[in-house]
Amino acid sequence: MNRHCLQTLAAITSTRAQALAAALAVSILAGCSVTSRMEPYKRTEAVISEGEQVVVLARKHHATHETEAAFVECVAGALASGSNGLEVHDTVAFEDQLYPWFEPSRAPLSTDELSELLEKPDVFERVQGSGVRFLVWLDGSTDRVASGGGITCAAGVGGAGCMGLAWWEDDARYDATVWDIQELSSTGTIYADFRGRSTLPAIVIPIPLIARPRAAACRGMTEQLRNFLTSPTSYIPGPDLQ
Amino acid sequence: MYPYRIYQKTASVHAFPASQSKDLYMLGVPRPSRLVFGRDKPYNGLMESGILFRLVRGAVVASICATVSACSTSLVVNADFPVPLVDPLPVRVGFLFDETFSTYAHEEKIPQQASYSIQIGEANVSLLSQLFTSMFVAAEPVVTLPLESAEQGRLDAVIKPELERFEFDVPIQRTDQFVEVWMQYQLRLYETDGQLIAEWPVTGYGKAEHGNRGAALNRAAVVAMREVGAEISTEFSAQPAVEYWLEEKQNESALSSDAGRNN
Repeated sequence: MNRHCLQTLAAITSTRAQALAAALAVSILAGCSVTSRMEPYKRTEAVISEGEQVVVLARKHHATHETEAAFVECVAGALASGSNGLEVHDTVAFEDQLYPWFEPSRAPLSTDELSELLEKPDVFERVQGSGVRFLVWLDGSTDRVASGGGITCAAGVGGAGCMGLAWWEDDARYDATVWDIQELSSTGTIYADFRGRSTLPAIVIPIPLIARPRAAACRGMTEQLRNFLTSPTSYIPGPDLQ
Repeated sequence: MYPYRIYQKTASVHAFPASQSKDLYMLGVPRPSRLVFGRDKPYNGLMESGILFRLVRGAVVASICATVSACSTSLVVNADFPVPLVDPLPVRVGFLFDETFSTYAHEEKIPQQASYSIQIGEANVSLLSQLFTSMFVAAEPVVTLPLESAEQGRLDAVIKPELERFEFDVPIQRTDQFVEVWMQYQLRLYETDGQLIAEWPVTGYGKAEHGNRGAALNRAAVVAMREVGAEISTEFSAQPAVEYWLEEKQNESALSSDAGRNN
């Protein structure tokens, strides 16, 4: 049960004459939760040194999905923040400095293509000048995978109200591939799958109990990436979301 | 063969590749806008999950549009395009932007939805003038073709771009996540006397997450234009007719420098 769900429950039970709502909320809170799975795989012992930067980029060449800009910003911002924050290069500035080579149709899809790109005149100098050593490619998206239930609302002279229960399930599935520009190799991959079920019970008024798997995926991915880039081999356990 | 998913835009039906890897449109195949038949993606958004939201939204949209008679969006595409990191080609070109190109506006009324007015002219000029200036050792705007005799001596060729097609799709339902824009330019390279050397269609596709309708359309258009710029700056010299012409120009300059040395 995540913190947001508990706060919502507290808000519900703090008001009088809503015992029924509280009972219903208790019964459905089991559904307002996020389950997670993370699979980090690091194949080298490369770590980021002082003065070196990391840039977080989104894969944009798929027709069916695209990593959300908000997720990229979330990961980049979280990596840079805190007492152990890393030096994170601005994503848009990096793409602009190296235009057109990191546009969706031109961006390297493998480290072999990256090495070919770095052989082009001025590109290697521009990358070196940026101070970026690690490229983090984020791929994936958050999608609604299931939904059900329904809510009926009615209004009359004496007032209005709703009754029913709706629920939905979001799946935040992302992977981060880390490339080492210095070694021209792939350092490894982190796979994250966070699934959250939200419910919307309505007893007179609808009460949203929202699970946020994308935010949880951002936190989980950031923790793993930070460890990935600073520790040669070891990993911290994934975030406790239950 | 690619697996295809059927999309529809108003009257015409197109097929899109559902491939996860590099798409056909990346390879230069025109990509149409799309309105999805049925439900392509699952629900998105809290309120949408209930009947309440659909009822309220439908009522609000219907009443507003009925009152105003039509919803409209007016947009001037606005962006700072970056300077491309490419080696300049060893030729001097003029670029000719006619009035249609530099004031291009796309007007479209989608029945029972909204009308759109999208001004792309300024962005056209901003993108391509910067692009051509970086792509060649020398580039300057020209106003006529064929060039006047003074300009003919100064320049090797003239590029005249045309924006042939502009299509977009704004999701009707919140379940569609992206605003999409597809553009096709026609680039024509002329000798200074007006003779056509090469003609090259360049397409660009962009999408942006649906939020504010105007801002999302702007972002998608800018992504599409950046794609066009990327294609032109990296593939221009690889077009067969252009490649041949560049070789000729190099041979000419080699011959003239030899002749200069012999004299």
